[in-house]
Amino acid sequence: MEEQATILIVDDDPDILEGILMILDTQPYRTATAGDGIKCMKMMEEEVPDLLILDLLMPRMDGWGVIREMRSEPRFANVPILILTTVVEDASRRRYELETGMTMDVQDYVQKPARPDDLIQRVKKMLAAKAAKG
Amino acid sequence: MASQLSEGTNALSVMAQRLGRSEIFVDLERGDLMVIAEFSTEMTYQEGASVLIEGQHAERLFVVERGKLALEKKIQIGRHSTPRNATIGYIGPGKIAGFSVLTTPHTYSTSAICMEPTRVIIVDGDCLRDFLVSNPGAGFKVMNRIAALIGGRYRNATNTLTYFLSIVSHELRSPLAAVENYLRTMYGGYAGELTEKQKRMIQRSILRVTDLTALIGDVVDLARMRPEQIQADFEWFDPGEVGSESIEDARLAAAEKNINIRVEPPPNFEPIVGARRRMRQVFTNLLNNAIKFAPPESDVIFRAWYEPEVVIFEVQDSGPGIPTEELPYIFQEFFRASNVGERAGVGMGLSIAKKIMDAHHGQIQVKNISSEFGNTGTCFTVSIPRNLMTPDMRRQSWMKADV
Repeated sequence: MEEQATILIVDDDPDILEGILMILDTQPYRTATAGDGIKCMKMMEEEVPDLLILDLLMPRMDGWGVIREMRSEPRFANVPILILTTVVEDASRRRYELETGMTMDVQDYVQKPARPDDLIQRVKKMLAAKAAKG
Repeated sequence: MASQLSEGTNALSVMAQRLGRSEIFVDLERGDLMVIAEFSTEMTYQEGASVLIEGQHAERLFVVERGKLALEKKIQIGRHSTPRNATIGYIGPGKIAGFSVLTTPHTYSTSAICMEPTRVIIVDGDCLRDFLVSNPGAGFKVMNRIAALIGGRYRNATNTLTYFLSIVSHELRSPLAAVENYLRTMYGGYAGELTEKQKRMIQRSILRVTDLTALIGDVVDLARMRPEQIQADFEWFDPGEVGSESIEDARLAAAEKNINIRVEPPPNFEPIVGARRRMRQVFTNLLNNAIKFAPPESDVIFRAWYEPEVVIFEVQDSGPGIPTEELPYIFQEFFRASNVGERAGVGMGLSIAKKIMDAHHGQIQVKNISSEFGNTGTCFTVSIPRNLMTPDMRRQSWMKADV
């Protein structure tokens, strides 16, 4: 097995963070958390994760802002993003398109709350896809 | 004597001028305004005074000259709470309160309270009505303005409600999502082993929380479910996939009553155009509805087949059925059949499903089943046209038509 994959989880709700950690920590991943978009970007500067689990509605910098920044920065452009939010998918895609004129480049989208087994499956799949890409 | 007369005429013409500045009389000729001025008086109200009261007979129309009125509506949440007044808007100089003098049933639809000392012109409702009836030209102009005014207030109210609901829904949903996330984590054994008793309590908690989340979603949906909004989301999708997701949505509720969801799919699912998320809502609503009324340990049948023009989905239960005389009403908002007893729900699921199907130019129908063996049940049939177009396809076809 290769090196442990690192996953950064970004959500302003500490209970969601704890719940997601509890699920993912049963798997062989290294996990880290951030409470808003600014903190998330700071942590990305220090270490680029293999996967980002991202909430959308957050204070300071929201998830759409994080996607925008990441997709315009070559170092982060290839980090797969899994959106985990209460916002329905079509509404948030429309909002992103209206604001940026681009389609929202995220690899998976889950409406809260996540089902643990389902979440693990999705994370596995995304990490495998990234590893295959190199 | 002559000077008295001219003084009176002068006062009338000042009043007429002031009336002419108000939003509903602005199109009228000076002659018309002079007549209306004859049955109008001016008055100043103190801060906090009620100018008119919701529900009372509308006898007078008020034109604000100076100051500000708050329009308030009595709102009662639940049957037992004390009603409160909610401010739905403010009106200032030139605006009117009490348009109900011109619209049946001539009952004020809001109260109007002075926010500051406020000077108003009071127009007598009976006289105004008589005048407008005998002068249809003026009547048309005034009613036109009233229609625009009411339309504006209605749009305002709808927008406020939609905005308010979307905020409320997020604020309510976020904590519930956190709770459900913890519960599912525990239920999945990710926070340690559970005893059977604990597992059962957590399962019940998940069910109650998901019910509540769905209910919040329904309340918000009802407010924003306009056909063009649903049609904007039209896309190609695999109805088989959406059906599976709905079965997954309803799985816990079914397990709870030991109900088996028997699936009878067509040999192949072909993609169709529609609002994917909305269709999932329709199927999930129908499945949950069937599970709610099916007896424990029974089968709920979920079947689908293709016809040349439509694809058809059916959800059938073996519950008590719906009283025949109530069948025509079950798709109405907040309708609940008389035999639902203590089963949870507020009667929104089916009306939402109906709205979604209407936006798809499809149909949703219901029939009771009763066999000679004494079996009963209800069967809901949904048919979705196979020739719907995505927004992109619509654009393309218009462009072609243009050429």
